[in-house]
Amino acid sequence: MSRQFAGIDIGSRTIELVVVNEAGEICQSLQADTGFDPMQEAQHLLSTISYDSIMATGYGRNLFEISFDATTVTEIKAHARGAQESFPNVRTVLDIGGQDSKVIALSDTGKVQKFEMNDRCAAGTGKFMEIMARTLGYTIEEFGPEALRAEKDITISSMCTVFAESEVTTLIAKGENCREIALGLHSSVTRRVSGMLNRVSPIGDIVFTGGVANNPCMTSLLAKHLGRQIHIPDTPQRIGAFGAALLARDNA
Amino acid sequence: MTITPLMNDGLDGMPAKRVLRYMEEHKSSGKPIVGIYCGYAPIELIQAMDLAPAVLCAFSDGPIASAETTLPANLCPLIKSSYGFILEGTCPFFNMAEAVIAETTCDGKKKMFELAAEVKPLHVMDLPQLPDEAEALPNWTAMIRKLQRFLETTFQRTVTDEAIESAIQQTNRRNSMMRKIYDYAAMHPPVISWEEMYDVGFLALPATFDKVEPVLTDVLKKLEKRVAEGVHFGNEKSPRVLVSGCPVGGDALKIFKIIEKCGGLVVAPDSCTGMKAFEGRIEENSDDPVRALAQQYLKVPCSCMTPNDGRFAALSNMIERFKPDVVIDFVLTACHSYNVESFRVGRHVNEQHNLPYLKIETDYSNNDEGQIRTKIEALFEMID
Repeated sequence: MSRQFAGIDIGSRTIELVVVNEAGEICQSLQADTGFDPMQEAQHLLSTISYDSIMATGYGRNLFEISFDATTVTEIKAHARGAQESFPNVRTVLDIGGQDSKVIALSDTGKVQKFEMNDRCAAGTGKFMEIMARTLGYTIEEFGPEALRAEKDITISSMCTVFAESEVTTLIAKGENCREIALGLHSSVTRRVSGMLNRVSPIGDIVFTGGVANNPCMTSLLAKHLGRQIHIPDTPQRIGAFGAALLARDNA
Repeated sequence: MTITPLMNDGLDGMPAKRVLRYMEEHKSSGKPIVGIYCGYAPIELIQAMDLAPAVLCAFSDGPIASAETTLPANLCPLIKSSYGFILEGTCPFFNMAEAVIAETTCDGKKKMFELAAEVKPLHVMDLPQLPDEAEALPNWTAMIRKLQRFLETTFQRTVTDEAIESAIQQTNRRNSMMRKIYDYAAMHPPVISWEEMYDVGFLALPATFDKVEPVLTDVLKKLEKRVAEGVHFGNEKSPRVLVSGCPVGGDALKIFKIIEKCGGLVVAPDSCTGMKAFEGRIEENSDDPVRALAQQYLKVPCSCMTPNDGRFAALSNMIERFKPDVVIDFVLTACHSYNVESFRVGRHVNEQHNLPYLKIETDYSNNDEGQIRTKIEALFEMID
C-alpha cells in the first residue's frame, strides 16, 4: 500500500490537516476551528486519519512538536511548497491568513529567496477583514461580494483595526453607503499588500493563498491594482498544510 | 558537556554587576565617574583625566512606563528606557555619575537630553553627520576640545596631550586583544558564545587597559585551552548569524536568545554594544592626539551619518571574516535612521554577498517572540 504523509497547519483561526500519497496527491483534507485548546483539536483530527509521517506548521507548530512525534517547518516554507506544487510556474506567493500576511519570492527551483511578514500587528489580515465585516453588518462570506457591488469607493486611511473601526463607525454615522465603505476597506488592504508585493517580488503572476484568497473583491482589486495575474488554488486556506504534507513526503 | 565560564569570577552572564563593582572601586578611591550613552563619547579623553566612563542604563523594558509619563510612546525604546531610568533613579551608574556626556546622534536623544539636563550636569557634543565633508574633522576635533574644557572645569583638573596620547595607545592595545578574542568566534564552530563576547566587551569598554589587560590575557588563555580540548558552541551545521543594526543589550538581548532557540549561533554581534566598539585603530604619535581621536570616532558607522558608506565596508569585512550563513538587521521601533538604512543593508547583503537577510523591527517587550521566531526559522530554512 502507498505510504501516506500528513501536514498539519495550526493557524490562529483554523487547523488544517491534509494527507497526501507518494505521488503527492491529496487523499484527505480536514478542517477544525483552532479554539482555545489547539492540541486537543489537533488530537481529535488526527484520530480520524492514518499516516506514516507528519509535519507541522503554523503558529502552533512548536507546541505540536512537543505533544506529538512530528517535525516542523515554518508557514513560509510550507506555503511556498504548497503554492509551488499547485502552480509550478509562479514565483510569487501572497498568503493572508487569520493573523498574518506574507509575501514570498521563489527561485526557479521553488526555493524561498526572500520573504516579508507582518509584525505583531494584525492590520490588513483576515482578522481585520472579519472585524470590519461585522462592523458593517455583513458575514465574512458576504463581505467581498457586497463590496464588489459598490458603485464607488470611499477612502479609508486607517490600517489599524482599532482606528479603522472608529473611522468606519464615523462614516456609517455620516450616512455613507455600507457597500462603498466595504469597497474602501478592501482597497486599503489592497494598497498595503501591494506595497509588500512590490518590495519582495515585483513582477510576474501571483499565487494567492490563505482564507482571504476566498474573497472575490480582494482578488479582483489586487489584479487590477497590480496588473498581474492572480491564481487561487482550490481551498486556498489549506495550502500551508498541503505544503507541509509534501515536505513530509520529500523528506521521507 | 558543560563549558567552564570564560570569566569565571562568579559574575558570568551578569556584566552590569561586574562593571558596577569596577565603578564602585573607582569611586571609592576618590575618583569621579562620568556617564556616557553612546559610542561617540571619546573614552580616551575621559580616561586620560583619571575619570571613569560609565555606560548608562538604556536597555530595560521596566522604566519605559515611567518615561511615557513625559515622553511620547511612539519613540525609540532605548531613549525611553534611558530617560525612565533617570526619572525613577534606578540606574546605579547614573546615580554615581557626576556629569553626563551626550551627543547629537538623533532627534529623539537630543530632545530627551534637554530633560535629562534638568537632573544632572550634561554636556552635549554637536556631532557632525556628514562625515566625508572637509569640515567634519575640524568641527569634531573642536567639540572634543570643548568637552575637555567642560571636564576640566567640572572636575577642577587639567589634562595634557601626552596623557591623551597614552590613553590612545592603551585603547589600541585593548582593541587588538579584543580582535584576537573575536578570532575565536570566526572559528567553525565558534569557540566563544555571544554571551561571553557581550560579557567581555561590557567590561573592556569602560575599564582602563591596566585593569582589563590581565582579564583579557586570561580569557585568551582559556579560549586557547578550549581549542586544544575541542570545546565549541553548536556544531558544523548550526546556522552562523551576523547581527547588525541598533545596539543590543539587556532586554534587547531577546534577539540573540531567540536566534539561539532557533538553533543559530551569533558569531558576529556588530553594533555599538558588540564588535563595533573595538574595531578601530586610532593614529598614534600624531601632532594632535585630539584630532587623531576625532578622526577615529568619525569613522564609527552609525546610521545617523550620511552617507554611511563605512557601514557597508565594515559589513563586508565582517562577512569575510566571520563567514555568516545569514545576516539579521536589528532595528529598534522608531529608530528611523537604522530602519531606513536597512533597505540598503539588505541589498548589499543579497547582491554583494549572496546571503539571506532579514530585518527584525522590535522593542524591548517580549510579546512578539512568536513572530520573530517564525521569521528567523524561515531565514534558516533558506540556507542551502
